[in-house]
Parts: sequence; C-alpha cells; structure tokens
Amino acid sequence: MDRMPPEDSRPPNRSAADALRPAGSTASNVWGRFRHHPGAVAGAIVLGLLVLSSSLAFLSPYDPEASEIDVRLAAPSLEHPTGTDALGRDLLTRLVYGGRISLSVGIMVVIIALVVGIPIGAVAGYFGGWVDDVLMRITDAALSLPALLVLILLSAFLRELDLPILHSNSVLTIALVIGSLSWMTVARLVRASYLTIRELEFITAARCLGAPNLRIMVRHILPNAVGPIIVEATLEVGYAIMEESGLSFLGFGIQPPTPSWGNLLSDAQEHLTLHPWLAIFPGLMIFLAIISVNYIGDGMRDAFDPYRVLKKVGEV
Amino acid sequence: MNPRRLRFTGHVILALSVMAVGLAGCQTAPPPKEETAVVITVPTDPPSFNGLVTDAGFDSLIMELVLLSVTDVNADGDIFPELAAELPTVENGGVVYNEETGAMDVTWRLRQGVQWADGKPVTANDVLFTWEAISDPEGGIWLQGSDYIDSIEVMDDYTFAVHYTSVFPGYLTQFGGDQVVIWPAHYCDASQGFVAWDCNRAPLSDGPYMLDEWQAGDHLTFVRNPRYYESGKPAIDRIVVRVVPDPTVRLAMLTGGDADVDVWLPESGVNQLKGNPDVVVSIAPTSRWVFRLFSNLVVRGSTDLAGTPHPVLSDVRVRRALRLAIDVDTIMQEVFLGYGRAVWTEFFRPPYVCDIPRPAYDPQAAAALLDDAGWTDTDGDGVRECHGCQTAEEGYLMSFELATYGEYGPELELAHQLIGEMLEKVGMQTELRVLEGSVMWADAASGGTEQNGDFDLDLYDDGYPGLDPTDHLYFYYYSASAEPDAGFNVGRWVNEEFDALLDEAYTLDEDHRKEVFCQMADILEAELPQILLFSAINADAHSARLQGIQSSANDMATWNVADWTLSE
Amino acid sequence: MGSYLLRRLLQLIPLLFLLSIAIFALVNLAPGGPLASLGGSRHVNPQRAEQLRRQLGLDQPLPLQYIYWLVGNDWTRVDADGDGVDESYGTRRGVLRGDFGISFRTRRPVLTEIMERLPNTIYLMVVTLFVVAIIAVPIGVLSAVKQYSLFDLIATTLSFAGQAIPEFWLGLILILIFYVWLRNPVTGEPLFPAGGMYTLGSAFSVGDWIKHLILPVAMGAVGWVAWYSRFLRAGMLDVIHQDYIRTARAKGLTERKVLYRHALRNALIPLVTILALDLPYIFAGSLYVELIFSWPGMGRLYYQAATQRDYPLLMAVLIIAAATTAVCNLLADLAYAVLDPRIRYD
Repeated sequence: MDRMPPEDSRPPNRSAADALRPAGSTASNVWGRFRHHPGAVAGAIVLGLLVLSSSLAFLSPYDPEASEIDVRLAAPSLEHPTGTDALGRDLLTRLVYGGRISLSVGIMVVIIALVVGIPIGAVAGYFGGWVDDVLMRITDAALSLPALLVLILLSAFLRELDLPILHSNSVLTIALVIGSLSWMTVARLVRASYLTIRELEFITAARCLGAPNLRIMVRHILPNAVGPIIVEATLEVGYAIMEESGLSFLGFGIQPPTPSWGNLLSDAQEHLTLHPWLAIFPGLMIFLAIISVNYIGDGMRDAFDPYRVLKKVGEV
Repeated sequence: MNPRRLRFTGHVILALSVMAVGLAGCQTAPPPKEETAVVITVPTDPPSFNGLVTDAGFDSLIMELVLLSVTDVNADGDIFPELAAELPTVENGGVVYNEETGAMDVTWRLRQGVQWADGKPVTANDVLFTWEAISDPEGGIWLQGSDYIDSIEVMDDYTFAVHYTSVFPGYLTQFGGDQVVIWPAHYCDASQGFVAWDCNRAPLSDGPYMLDEWQAGDHLTFVRNPRYYESGKPAIDRIVVRVVPDPTVRLAMLTGGDADVDVWLPESGVNQLKGNPDVVVSIAPTSRWVFRLFSNLVVRGSTDLAGTPHPVLSDVRVRRALRLAIDVDTIMQEVFLGYGRAVWTEFFRPPYVCDIPRPAYDPQAAAALLDDAGWTDTDGDGVRECHGCQTAEEGYLMSFELATYGEYGPELELAHQLIGEMLEKVGMQTELRVLEGSVMWADAASGGTEQNGDFDLDLYDDGYPGLDPTDHLYFYYYSASAEPDAGFNVGRWVNEEFDALLDEAYTLDEDHRKEVFCQMADILEAELPQILLFSAINADAHSARLQGIQSSANDMATWNVADWTLSE
Repeated sequence: MGSYLLRRLLQLIPLLFLLSIAIFALVNLAPGGPLASLGGSRHVNPQRAEQLRRQLGLDQPLPLQYIYWLVGNDWTRVDADGDGVDESYGTRRGVLRGDFGISFRTRRPVLTEIMERLPNTIYLMVVTLFVVAIIAVPIGVLSAVKQYSLFDLIATTLSFAGQAIPEFWLGLILILIFYVWLRNPVTGEPLFPAGGMYTLGSAFSVGDWIKHLILPVAMGAVGWVAWYSRFLRAGMLDVIHQDYIRTARAKGLTERKVLYRHALRNALIPLVTILALDLPYIFAGSLYVELIFSWPGMGRLYYQAATQRDYPLLMAVLIIAAATTAVCNLLADLAYAVLDPRIRYD
C-alpha cells in the first residue's frame, strides 16, 4: 500500500468544455480558494513552523552530535524539553536538525520526480502511438517493482558510493534513491492531462499556425496541466518523508550520528519500555509533517479545481 | 433510524460479537501437568542444523540439542569428552609424535552404548563418514586441521585414528566444539552432499532431544530423546525455539513469562533486567569478541604490501597516540553499562595469558607523542597537519575515516561516535561512516572494502573461537595473509620475526607454545597493527526457574542442555 | 478494444524481461557479497571462500549468471569440483522452467523457502484487507451521504491522521500499550500477545488465532482504512451529484435503492481498480508488521535475505512480486475500460 495512483491518473471523464481553463483559475483566485480551506491553512501554518524551526536549528545551544554522557536518557525537563538520548544529546535539537534532513529529502525527491516525470508524461501524452506505449511500459515496469523492497537494495548500493557530490550519507543520495521510484505517478498524471488537452481547439490552432511541438508542449499545454501536478507534488513530499523515515528506521537510510526522524525512531526502539519519549517525539514529528502536507495538498486540490468545490456542494 | 444506518450498525455489532466470542472462547488448554517445557527465543530463523555449513550461531544452538560431537568445550575453556571415552594425550598413549617425519597420530576411543534415535549404535564408522562428507571437495567445507590430516583409519567399531602430517595443536577439538558433530552414516545421504543433505533440516538424533516439528520462520519443537545415553537426563521434556525478531518483544516475553531463554543479550538488556527477581542473567567467564581498531598501514585504495605507506596511520607513534587518546573505561561504563572488560592484547584468554601492562588513558601524552611525530596544528583549526612527519607531505591534514558496521546495534554506534570524539580532542579529524557488514568483509571481487584496501581505520569486534589462537593469528597477522582474499591481514602488516615465531607455535610442547605466544605478544604490543580496546559481554538471560544453564564464549547456551533442570 | 487488449498482452512479455534484467542488475551490482554473511566469524576462510564462490555460481561473468538464472545450466557442463575442468552437467533448470535456484543461506530451493512463508503473509493480508473493507466502505459511504455532518468531519480528520501515521511507529506504540502497559485485570497477563500466529504448544483454538491477529491487523489496517474511506467518499460524492442519480430519485426510487444499486456500484469501480493494484501487496507482505510482530512471512524473509545478500532469494521475491503487479496493473486497466463505457482506447 505504499503507493497508489491518484484518481486522476485515469482519463478524466469531463467533457472538453470543462477542461478549458475556467475564468476563475488565475493565481489570485487559486489563492483565494486555498485561503478558505481551514485544514489547508492549518496545515500550512504547521508546516511553516516545522520549516522555520528547522532553518533556525543553528540557534540551539546544544550540538546535535556531541555526546554528554552524564545526562544520558534524561526525561523531558526544562533544560531538555524533550529529554536526551542514549548519548546525552538533546533530543529537541536533534529533532529540528533531523527535520532539516527529512524536509530537504522531501523537497528534493519531489524535484526529481517532477524533473523526470513531467518530460516523460508530456512526451507520452502528446505524441501517443508507439512512443506512448514504450514510455508507459517503462513506467509500468517501474511501478511494478515493490517500492520498499527495491529501495532497501538501492540504498545499500548508494550507501557505499564515494563520488564527489554523491557520498554515502548525503541527503542527495537518499533523495536520488527515493526519487528514482517516485516519478511514475507524476508521469501518468501528466500524460493523462496532455492526452486531453492536446485535443482542444486552441492546440489545433497553434499547430496550424506552425508552432513547433516543443513550444506547444511547454508554452501551451503545460500551464494548463499545472493544477494536478502541483497537488501531486505536494502529496509527494509527504510520501517522501514517510519513505525516508521508514528506510532510516530499517537502517538503510540516513546513518547516525546524523539525525533523521526515522533513525531517531530506530535508536529509540531499544529504550521503548523505560524511556518512551525517545520514540514518541520523532514519530510525532513525522506525523505532523505528513498530515500538514496532506491537508495542504487537499487545499490545493480544491483551489485549482473550482468545479470540484461546486460539485461538493451539489450544484453542478 | 433509517434502514441503512440500521444495517451498518448491525454489521458493526456482528463484527464485535464475533470478536467477543472468539476472545471469550480462547481458554487455551493448559499443557498436561507432567510435561515440562522451556521456550528459547532467537532473533532469526536458524538456517539449518549444520553449524559448519551455515555458521550463523543459531544453527549451532539447535545442533547442540540433537547431535553429539567427539569432544566439547565448557564455559571455562576446558575440553571434555562427549562421544569419546577419554581424551587422548601423549601420556596415555593416545597421541604419538614421530620426531623424524614430524607426523602425529591421535587414537580415539569412543564411548560404548551411545545410540541413534532408531536404536543403531554410534560407531567409529560414523566418524569416518562425517569426515568424508566434510572433506568432499565439491562441498567446499574447510575444517580447522583438515590441512594436516592425511587419513582417518577405523580400527574397530569404537576406535579410530587420525593421521596428521604435521603437528596440529588443536587436535583435541578436531571433531568437537561448537560447529562439528558426528552424523549418522546409515541415515544421512552422502550423495546429497554435506552442504545440502536432508539431514541438515531433519537430522537423526543421538543427543538429548529429537526434532518434533519445524515451522519455518516461526518455531521449532523438540522432545526428549528416550535413548539418550546419560540416564535420567535430560530433565526437561520439551524445548521450543521461537523466532522473535524484535529485541524489545523478546525481552518483554522473558519478563512476562512467555519465554525462558533469550540468547546473546546486549548490555542494555542486561541492565533492564537488573533487579528483576524472575530473570537471571548468565554471563560467560570470557568473551570471544574484542572490539578493536584495524589500521590500514598502506595508502588507502592500494593492496600492494610494498606500496606507499598510509600517510597518517603508518607511523607507529600515531597508532600509540590513538590508543592513548581513547578512554576505554568511559566507553565501557557509559555505553556498555559497565559490563565490558578492557582487553589490550590478543593473549588474554586462558590458557594463553601474557603479561602485558595495561596501556594508560592519557590524552596529554597522546598530544605530546603526536607533536613528536611531526603532527602539529599551526593554523588553530583544531586539526593537526604534517609538519615534519615522516609519512606524509608537508601540510597534509590529519584526517581519516573511521568506519564500523551497523548490524551490531546501537552500542557499537555509540562507541563509534564516542571514539571519533575522543580522537578529535587530540587533533585528529575523523569522518564517521557506518557500513553493512556484508560490504566491509566481502571478498575483493564483490567490492569488500577491507580486502580492497578501501579503508583507513575500521572498528569492529572479532576474536577466535575455541581455545587455540594459532589460526586466528595466522590469518590476521601473518605476512602471507596480507594478499587480498588470502587472509584477513587487511592492514597489510609484515613482520618477519612474528612470522618465524608463529611457525614455531605449531608444536605439542605447551610450554614452548606459551613462550612463543608471549614473544609474539611483545611484538604486537610494540607495533600495534591492531589496537585492541575491550570485550563486550557474552550473556544470555533466562527465567529464574531454569537452572543449570551457563553462558559460554565457546558455544551457544544450549551446550549443556542435558544438564538443565526446572526448579518449580 | 480487442486490438488494444492484444497489444497490451504482447507488451507484457518485453516488460517482464525488462523487469528481470533490471532486478538482476540491481541485486548483483549492490556492493558486498553473500560470503561475508555465510560465516559467524567476520571473515570467510580464503580457501572456503573460493569454493563457495564456485558453488554459488558467483565466479561466472554476470551476463552468464543471468542466463543460467533464466534458463538453467543443465544443458551445459560446469566445473563442480574446482579442478578447472568443466566435467559435469549443471543441475539448475532456470526460472523459465520454475527453478528459482538455491538459497545461499540455507541451501534449500528458494521456492520451498518462499512457499513456507507465503501462506502466512497471504493469511495476514487477506484478513487485514477484509477488516479494511468492512470498516472503510461504510465510513466512506456514510461520509459522502452525510456530507459536512459531524460524522463526516470526524471521519475525514481521522482519515487524514491515519494516512499520516508512520506504520512502524504505530506498531511500537501498539506493543507498548497493549503488551507492556495494559494488563488483563483478572490474570495480570498482557492483554494481547506480542507476536506469532498462535500460542505454541496449546490446542488449536479460533480465539487464540484471533487474539494473535488483532494487533498486527490493527497496525496494517489503519493507513489502509484511512486511504480507502477517503477514496470511497470522493468517488461516492462524484457519483451522487451526477445527473443520472437525480434522475433515479426523480423516478421515485427509494433512497436506499438509489444509493446501493446505482451510486455505490459506480463508486466502487475506481475502488476495484485500486484494489487490483493493491493485490500484489498481499504477496510481498507488509515488512514492518512482520518485523515488529514476528510474523513468519515473506517480508521478513526478504529483509533477512537483503542484509545477507542472498541473491537467489532476493531475485525470486522481487521478480514474483513485480510480475504479479505488472499483470494486476494490466488487469486493472482493462477492468476499468470494461466497466466504464465512457473510456475508449484507440
């Protein structure tokens, strides 16, 4: 159940007229609709706080990796609001540093997924025919691989690398690993949009006017397809954070002493019965990050598709 | 209430009532009063009954329940006869050494009256059969001592002789210890091969227990062997080995009474069980595994013995400074909760104990030594550079990678980080790295980091099984072992005097051996190709009602399962 | 339509080949090898290592290893005893003939190892799926019908929460609460067992098996229920506001008939396709559940094999899971096309 294609990956069952950009889809309208979605706003606030605290991590008086043996495994207190870990390191500091890692992995994975998925989906959807078949079969192959199982092997592989930018414990490496199996949904989504939009009259018009394919794909179709892409991208962040935590929990992701929410959870396993706070807080962080991202994604979904909102109310 | 909601509620009520009935009905039938059972929890599925083939530890655990060897080793390191009637020695004529040819003959007499579970007797033929199966070249099994064995001769049903081409000091455990047992000649199918025969999953038993059922990945059940040769033993009717991967759950099962034995307990587990009246922790008198630092004496990435020396670690003064800078007591106290033992020489386990003075923890002395060696910090960034050092260019940063493996668990990770910090305090810059064991120790062709020379300083636990360090010393320190995949002298240390002494150690003269070993200890102390730090605990935890169990560094805790009793 | 079906079926073959090559490359190119784990000591004796490499077939060049894996080596001679001469025929028949090789760890056929664990995984997953269905469908439907009611609000919030909870964290918390902390007030024993499928040594009892199912199923079901109920709600909402539903109501059909016979049936279509895509998950199992609750299933087998680089086992699990998923994907696409007459493929 790690990954399921969203509903929109099947050909949309709207008529061509519906697919046209309705008047209310400019940026300000989108933002306006987003603002009225309470969950999304709350999610944005929570996520904003997480991002803020992670960027300000350097303000902490504690060093996230230096040990202080005398205060190991201390319960939450004034000096250490979330307690200390087995080496006496302040857990809160490690949580916010870990947030830096987990959140950056999330963003990087999304970037990779977009960079790989959009071109593939666009080409497949626009050109159709055997190009579409080949690209979609490749996408199917990648989708057929059981994600977690393959990620375990991939991360073992990349962990031992020692290249100039890609070394073993870097965020980029883990992001590449997770990203390599995250682009497929985006590709399918983009393909579905391109399949529909290319049939519209203004595209035919552009072609008649002699516009080259690349220009049509990028300048004409892409801006119209942006809605679902942004929604999916937002949700991908949550998915990436979950995968990274899971991998680190299993011991295949970010390695200690670098903190990541997942490996903090893994370190906490041993002390679960006597010092449960070590497990509660990292898990809570993961939960908060993902739930806010999901609410934001839901808000985006509503914001980009006003018809969706109207349908909900039953007026269309 | 509209019908739809009614139906929904109905579904919920139905589901809940089914669950309630099920829970209420789960009065599990209590086992019959007379039958006693002991549950052992293990973290992973034992791969087979053959410790020599799969060598995972848990195979030996179940092997000891059903099969016997010629001799075995107890927790204090004493060898005792199992299938043998007595131990052959030079004095009782069991061992004959031919001075001219250098050959050695050991004659064994087997105990009479030991039976297989089908009633047939255990004879010397079974020993020969086992030997032939092990030494079959297609099987590819290497047994310690097999390089020296010329032949095995069966004299009669209960006597056999082993003909060695040269002295093999470990002859007493030739067919014993924690890996080798004797297999039934009339039952196991030699054509299937020692490695893959069905016996490895379903053996015929001559030991205290017989296999009753094996549900892969979940559990194994053993029942008492009525034909076991020691009358009145074993005392416990049934042994269950359960696979429970999560250590927290294993511990909870032990304290909750659902399990009786939890093997290979880490220090944190020992600590958690302190003061618990229902659980006893059995600690082995010695430990095989010693944490140590392996220095790569050759420049990283090269496997050439005569190649460029390592810019930082090839200077013995640097290695001595490393040792001075590490506070072993603090690590043992804080990370291993006081349960470790400082170890600084290979020769610390009886009967080969050499008197090397314990190294001090002295960071100032370390700093002074580094200054002497030409490593000083002139730019004030806390990291030393080479100024007049003998092994690197001027200005070379004193930086290297300190690697360890992840599968041990959090204690090693913490120790790893602590050691990195201690080295930083004396001006060395360490980059910490955690690898998978299967990458660190793989052979050169598979990308093994050590065999490819792709490391600077490695930290992990290692040690020799059994009593005899000779083979261990050969593979880790002998010059020939420095070739990639020829041994494990991964630091590529070469010392001819040491080589010569090791050659001399292949003798039956125990006193001479001890002398030679201690001379080797001096060399190792002077050159420090490996820096030994401490040994971790070897402990198994068991319920208080289980008596007679003794944790051993030489075998799994089931080595004396026939002697276990229940006190309730 | 027929030509599309034929095309997709034919494309399945190169797809599977592509998958097998990708998986083979992935497994074998990962650094480290199985030899390091085949010994309890840190290092394998060098002579033994060489013999092992030969036995396990690792001394052959990679492309040849792939071919032997695929079609076996009983049609060619190999060197079995290490003397450098290829004298005996190989014993492997290859994946295409159903021989997935021998596990490096236990030296038993890989299929045997898998078949011992597979039923346990399927058992757990099917029960979980069943529980998910009976909880998620009513919640989803009710949420849609009673849109914006308190029930809907709570259900939606809970489903957002359920999707955000890390599964592995949930499992640890469940053990903490139900095995370590809460105790049966009468006997003082833990409320639920901490793992395994049944209590060993006791007579078979349905109640015992159910007790052992509760926590693992709960851990696996939470995320699934959260996702499916939301999915169903969205699908149901989509459908409810369609014109044909209005028509059905206008025709005088009872609300119940409208909901069940028309709305739910159509709303279930996307759910069915999602279910088809989740089916392979039933085989691969949930790794986290099996690790935390000591469930003797496929996921744990794979995890163990991954750390020990048991190549044949890894490849078998991956290729079976991938092939099953590919086929299910195809079936889902086709089912969708068949069920929804508005979809047309050219």
